[in-house]
Amino acid sequence: MMENLEFAGRRRAYILGGLIVFSLALLVIRLVDLQFLQYESFRSTAEKNSIRQQPKSPLRGNMYDRDGALIVENNPSYTLTITPFEFQWHTLPLLVRLFDVDTNLVRYRVTRAGINSFDPVKILPNLSFAQVSLLEENRTLLPGVGFLIESTRRYNLDARMAHLLGYTKEISPTLLRTLGEYYQPGDIVGFNGIEAYYEPILRGRKGYGYHTVNAMGRVVESFEHGRSDIPAREGADLFLSIDQQLQRYGEQIMRNRRGAIVAMDPRNGEVLAFVSAPDYDLNDLSGKISPEVWNGLIGNPAKPMYNRCSMAAYPPGSTFKMLVAVAALQEGIIDPDTKIHCPGSYPLAGKDFRCHGAHGNVGVVAALEYSCNVFFYKLIFKLGFANLQKYGALFHFGRPTGMDISNESAGIVPSEEYYNRRYGTRWNIGYLVNLGIGQGEVNTTPLQMAAYTAAIANGGTYYTPHAVRKVRDRFRNQTTDIPVKSEKLPISREAMSVIQRGMLRVVHGGGTGYAARVSGVRVAGKTGTAQNPPNPDHAWFVGYAPFEEPTIAVAVIVENGGFGGSTAAPIAAAMIRQYLYPQRREASSVRDSTEVAPAVEIPVVHPSHPVAD
Amino acid sequence: MKGRGISPYVRRLDWMILAPVLLLVAFGLLAIFSATHNAELIVKFQKQIFWAALGILSLLLVLLAPPRFFHYSAYLLYGAALLLLSLVLVFGHTVSGNAGWFGIGGFGVQPSEFAKIATILALARYLSDRTTSLRSLPDIGKAIGIVALPWLLIFMQPDFGTGLVYWVFFISMLFWSGAEMLLLIVMLSPVLVAVLAIIDLWYFILATLVVAGLYYIVRRNLGFALIFFAFNLSIGFGVQYAYEHLPAYQKARIAVFIDPSQAPLSAGWNVIQSKVAVGSGGLFGKGYLQGTQTQLRFVPEQWTDFIFCVPAEEFGFIGAVIILLLYGLLFIRGLVIAKNLELRFASLVVAGLVAMLAFHVVVSIGMSLGTIPVIGIPLPFMSYGGSFFITSMVAIGIILHAWMYRTGME
Repeated sequence: MMENLEFAGRRRAYILGGLIVFSLALLVIRLVDLQFLQYESFRSTAEKNSIRQQPKSPLRGNMYDRDGALIVENNPSYTLTITPFEFQWHTLPLLVRLFDVDTNLVRYRVTRAGINSFDPVKILPNLSFAQVSLLEENRTLLPGVGFLIESTRRYNLDARMAHLLGYTKEISPTLLRTLGEYYQPGDIVGFNGIEAYYEPILRGRKGYGYHTVNAMGRVVESFEHGRSDIPAREGADLFLSIDQQLQRYGEQIMRNRRGAIVAMDPRNGEVLAFVSAPDYDLNDLSGKISPEVWNGLIGNPAKPMYNRCSMAAYPPGSTFKMLVAVAALQEGIIDPDTKIHCPGSYPLAGKDFRCHGAHGNVGVVAALEYSCNVFFYKLIFKLGFANLQKYGALFHFGRPTGMDISNESAGIVPSEEYYNRRYGTRWNIGYLVNLGIGQGEVNTTPLQMAAYTAAIANGGTYYTPHAVRKVRDRFRNQTTDIPVKSEKLPISREAMSVIQRGMLRVVHGGGTGYAARVSGVRVAGKTGTAQNPPNPDHAWFVGYAPFEEPTIAVAVIVENGGFGGSTAAPIAAAMIRQYLYPQRREASSVRDSTEVAPAVEIPVVHPSHPVAD
Repeated sequence: MKGRGISPYVRRLDWMILAPVLLLVAFGLLAIFSATHNAELIVKFQKQIFWAALGILSLLLVLLAPPRFFHYSAYLLYGAALLLLSLVLVFGHTVSGNAGWFGIGGFGVQPSEFAKIATILALARYLSDRTTSLRSLPDIGKAIGIVALPWLLIFMQPDFGTGLVYWVFFISMLFWSGAEMLLLIVMLSPVLVAVLAIIDLWYFILATLVVAGLYYIVRRNLGFALIFFAFNLSIGFGVQYAYEHLPAYQKARIAVFIDPSQAPLSAGWNVIQSKVAVGSGGLFGKGYLQGTQTQLRFVPEQWTDFIFCVPAEEFGFIGAVIILLLYGLLFIRGLVIAKNLELRFASLVVAGLVAMLAFHVVVSIGMSLGTIPVIGIPLPFMSYGGSFFITSMVAIGIILHAWMYRTGME
């Protein structure tokens, strides 16, 4: 660039520098324009601009039980607050005289807030109504002093229902992120159970008050005399299908056990009892939770917070056999008269799959009655994975039932792909055979089992289990029924009735479920024992009654309870008896099966038959 | 360098550059604190403290570079920048859902900011080369190529504002190296065309014709006039195409600038509230942490591109003018340095850096005052964010470095 005489020349430096200075000068002129010439207009805009929005929390909806008794309501509590930006220190003595506040606490909180001075800080919780009105009277003398209404849950419960209802808590930062815009830090939200599932309905809608704030950020007056305020809308009330007597009875039976009971109305899917044991007292989680209580609940090895009804999935054991049988009948693999020979064991893939005895030639009804394993080994072998998946899905195995509760697991119905993924080539057809008797990797929740039993009981309609029947909108004073979701299963009436007959024989024939008998009514059911090596087996019983016109279906699991016939069946019987012939019973004496059993008539029909399944 | 330890470095530091920069950084931190201290935003301030520390560290690291380091490594750095820009086009989108960003441990990094410096270095190296002639069209073409490559990669992200900065320092550096005025007008025309293309189809076609015609009249070279016409036409249509494919919010910003009354509550909100903040600040301001517009958060995302309205509201006209004076002092001193550097490379680099920073300042503050369209350009040393902050600090480091070794090798 030798020919270039003007490189970094003086003239060019002046031009570039002049351009920069000129641009900056233009900006200064613009500043003069905005900050001097238009100052007045912008200042008044900024003042008018300062309209602040103050959220008002609505009251949360109540809950009622099946009989219309109020079981969950609100406990409003008032907390004295100070907005540091507006607070005037010379009013402190008056504040002390009126409310006896701790001056050190006020000093600490107000000065520490310092830079967050527009947000109120909490000073004194649990104000009485007298104190609130005292504050209202002296409002003008106490700038920046106000109160905040917070509400906690109050329970009027006969039973505990902890896992079903769930609880309310201050929103966590994680939830704040996932739940989105509506919520602010400090808001109360439902955790778990119905409180969480119906959160959008229960919480109502926040209202907003608008205040004009002057240039110093101090509230001058309510904006447009409150004409733009949006009133808070109270939450809706829920009417539950829970039978509190039955629930309480179930909770008492399960008091010293681990396990679950789910009882449903097979005519509409209403949940009558939802017992998960051990449980906890909801009152402990209302309002401020003490760390000792919380740590006690979290640290307890029995996991009382764990919802065993809908979160825990266990192998269903022999209670799964109805599914295999109904699938085989519907697919035409067997008919009601098909006999399969049981020599006492079934050799396959170098293993001997054992039965409880040699049942000889058995049909499907007898196979259910005696819980013959060989029958189902051979049947599932013919049925195959695809049909198991198909019929399992019909009864919502391997997928959630869709109950109106926030936490539900899907369970597992293994497929060939599932085993391939899990074991590669290291699995054989014996795995499928095990599924035929509900062992191995098939997992179901007690809730799924109850809904499945209900669908069998009503002859083939799957009702989505639900605990809430009606919603009352307090604003419109309107009560609406929640539509019941149901699905007619593509299974013939005949196939269903064969299964029903088998289940009746389980209890009233020579089967394993005789301990489920209830005097005056015919009960149908099925026992199950879920292997849980190396620990003791889990005991299952599913059943329904009355056989002719079923009004209750129940699923019971007792963890490490051993045989379903001796541990779970008497509990199911006690629940059915309590529901069909209600009376104020105390079940506290029912400690274990031997004490439940005498309450139920147990004619010993086949003393020689091995009580196992 | 003679002597031991850091004292010779300190002695050779140009405080007319460094002092305004440090004061502006302090002003920026004060402003970001004011805009974010309420509620959960304070983490932004904490992050910015980290960036400030990292920025100052980067500046010091640059000072430690050997003499003529940037001269030798200019093309290497430029190549690395191109590589990063290509990578961000391919991978950036999936990393943070926003093309042009790399996510590194919770901090976003924008290669297009660092690429500015690399491009200035490469261009300075090329223009200062003895064999390069500004009368030779192939050489001018190569110079354009050096800028156009990263510009295209950035335009594809698409980032209109950052792309514009490239043309500004390119023109400034050509000007600095003594290019003819006609050439500069020809160079500036694509920018003019680009702006007009957004406003109206016929305006830009007319402008394209006028510039090409002017060229033909002066140079009597029909071939080039036609090529030039076609080039500008394609720029215009390219911009129109890009504009149609801009994210809705950027489009709204441009549309609203052309006619702000269109959307006083949505897209025009930023500008209106920013002007109210500045205007209501008056002579002395409302006091630190007392600005109602800032504290009640009437200006969304104030801590990024609209940071200037915080000191303007809280420190008023006095504060705003002090900030403008600091910038003015910095740029004038920068040009004096550029003027007095013996090495053409160093002189060009400093001039380019000053042009880049000055453009940022004028546009960003102009945005806050409602005089320039909102094209999303951060304010050097003050806006929240890491990549551009560190880029600006490195730029200052390079200026100081060049001045340190002004007499050549010692």
